[in-house]
Order: sequence, then structure tokens, then C-alpha cells
Amino acid sequence: METLRPISVASIIMTVVLLLSSCGEQACYDKTDPMMNAFLLESGTGVIFKANSIVVTGTTATDTIEFVNTTAVSSFSLPLDPGNDVSTFYIVLDGITDTAVIYYTRRPHLVSAECGYTIVSELTGLKTTHNIIDTLIIENKSVTLNGERNLHLFY
Amino acid sequence: MAKGTCICFISLFLLMGSRAVSQDTVTIPLHFRAGFDVSGPVLHLLNDDLNSYGVLASLDFNQAISLNAGLRYTTFSSVEYNYNFSSRGASIVIGADYNFMKPKTAQGKYYAGIGLRYGLSFYSQEASDIKYTNKWGEGLSSMPLSHHTGHFLEITPGVRVELFKGVTIGWNVYMRLLISAGAGKDLNPIWMPGFGDASSRMNTGAEYYVSFSIPYKKIKVIIKPKRVEEDEEGIEGTEGTEGTETTTMTPQSTPGGRR
Repeated sequence: METLRPISVASIIMTVVLLLSSCGEQACYDKTDPMMNAFLLESGTGVIFKANSIVVTGTTATDTIEFVNTTAVSSFSLPLDPGNDVSTFYIVLDGITDTAVIYYTRRPHLVSAECGYTIVSELTGLKTTHNIIDTLIIENKSVTLNGERNLHLFY
Repeated sequence: MAKGTCICFISLFLLMGSRAVSQDTVTIPLHFRAGFDVSGPVLHLLNDDLNSYGVLASLDFNQAISLNAGLRYTTFSSVEYNYNFSSRGASIVIGADYNFMKPKTAQGKYYAGIGLRYGLSFYSQEASDIKYTNKWGEGLSSMPLSHHTGHFLEITPGVRVELFKGVTIGWNVYMRLLISAGAGKDLNPIWMPGFGDASSRMNTGAEYYVSFSIPYKKIKVIIKPKRVEEDEEGIEGTEGTEGTETTTMTPQSTPGGRR
């Protein structure tokens, strides 16, 4: 019986702890938005370059959404349209506008039971105008939650 | 010369013999146990989403080590604001438990130890409705029904007692480490049967079980007191070393021998 006593006490404590822990609702604390990260580089030298101002908006058939509006930055992050395989952006760099069209494929990705799924993308191609942008290249195709460096924008 | 060598050897044997003391033994029954997990049905009362039924069997290899195997069937479904998910499947675990209790205390009835098991899960999963929203708007997707095989390791510290003759109850805390869910890097199951939430590589929880035990063999475990000289030193030094025991096991065939 002496052997049973500590085992019984430990069992009761375990039961209470597990019942209490199983009753709690869990909240989502994870990052759920995959972002396409673009870096600004000086054309010719390839050195990271700070733009005086940058404004990036996305366009849909019915709407325009502003994603970035800031000054003195050398990189910016954009979400991709999770409902389409193409996203169109207007990039206003130091007051001069260019259009970039990004093509990609989408797939669901589990974040956690609490947060559910997100949609990650694989870049397949892009098109851009060249008013101020010299070259826009894909550095890393995967747009995930890991924050890869996806695009290099030379201007 | 030969006589001298002979005397020397005999004296050595006598000296060795003088160190030996009478052996103390304890008889331990080895059991085969078969039982079921009671935590699955209890958790179903708290959480409608999860149905889990498990059976397990174990066989005492010696007074400290038992080999075990478990089979579990699980169905899980979850409806959240941004997804519907369901999975179902069977899992098996095989491994061994090590009893840290001394044979004299455990007597084949008590267990406080740790187990290590390898688990395999054969399951299917489906997410009929996945919604994701960002500044652009809403993206809809789905995951069609697919079948996978997952692997995991399980570390199970726990206790077990013989409640009545032939009836054993016990619980394990488990720490499960996911080796692979087998569903690719993006679509780990929200619930992998036998493992749990596979969005995390580690899962913890507990299992409570009731099992029926049948003794199949008795063994005598030799409990040797410390050597006389060491005991004397121990008595002179501290009293704490008095309880130190070295155990060895000598199998003794006693067919059908119940205590």
C-alpha cells in the first residue's frame, strides 16, 4: 500500500492537469501571411540602393489596394492575390510609375491547427515596364512564410 | 614447487570463498497483459471532434523490461471558420518499457518507469474547404482525400499498479516526436491518427489504460548484499549505503506457477 500512495497522488495530479489543459481554447499566434520580398539594387553595380520614396498598389478588376507607401527604403514586401494566379502591381519609384505583372502557382500550406491554412506560391514568371525599372528578376521562386528574398529590382 | 603453487591457488579460492555471503532471492511473476485505453472515450466526451480507441498488449521479458505493442483507430474532424478538416486511420506502436523500481518493491505488480516506442500511422485526410484572406481578398482551396503513412517515436514515462489480482491500471505521459507525416511539407495533417496534431513536430499528452494480466512464468531474482569488506566500510562510513543492492536474474522454470 505504501507503494500505491505516491502513484495514486501522481495519477490524480496528472488527471487534473490534463483535463484542465484539454479544456482551453487555443489562439493563433503564428505568422500566416506569405509575402513576396523585393530588394532595390543599383543598376550596373548591383549594390543595394535606397529609394527616396516608393508607393506600390495592386489592381483588381474593380479595385486598387495600396500595399506600400514609404520613404528611404531598400526593400519592400507584397502579398500575392490568393484568389488568382496573377497579381498586377503599380510601382511608383521616386515619382516614376512602372507596372509589374507577377505570375505564380498556388497551393495550400498548413500553419497550425489553431491558425488553419495559408496559401503559398511559386513564382513562374513576370513582366514589367521600364520607365524607371531597368530589370526585375526572380531570385527565389518560393513565396512562403520563411521570408525568402524573392525579387531583385534594378533601377 | 608444484605443491607451493597448488597451495597458493587453494588459498586464493578460499579467500574468494570467504567473501561470498548467502544469497537473498525474490520470486517475481512475469505477466502477459492485454488491455484498452480509457482516455480515448473520456476525451470524446470533452471533444466531439475526436474518436480514438486503443488496445495494447505487453509481455514481461524479465523483472525490468517488458515488450509491448498497441493498436489504435482514430477519426478526427474539425470545422473552423477558415477550414474543414477530417482524418481517419489506424496506428500501431511497438516498443519496450523499463521498470525503474527494485524487484523487491515492484514484486511484479508495480511499475514506475519509461518506455520507448516506434509508431506507424496509416491514415487518410481531406480538407474540403480551405479559406485564406489577405489584403487582396479571399482565396479558396481544398485538399482532396489522400492516403499516407506516417512515422513517429514515443517516449512514455508512466506508472502501473495491479489493482486486483489479474487487473492492472496505469497511465503514461507520452511525448511523441514526428519523424514524417508522409504528406509532404505543406500538408501535414492537423490530426494524424496515433500521433495527434502533426503541424507540430512534438506532441504531449497522456493515456490511461486498464489491462488484464496473466502470469506465465516465475523467475527468481538474486539480490546480493554488498561484499562483507565493503559493508563493513559502509557501516563505518555512512549508513546510507546499506540499501544498495545488485540484482541478477536467474530464470527458474516453474510452469503454471502462480503465487
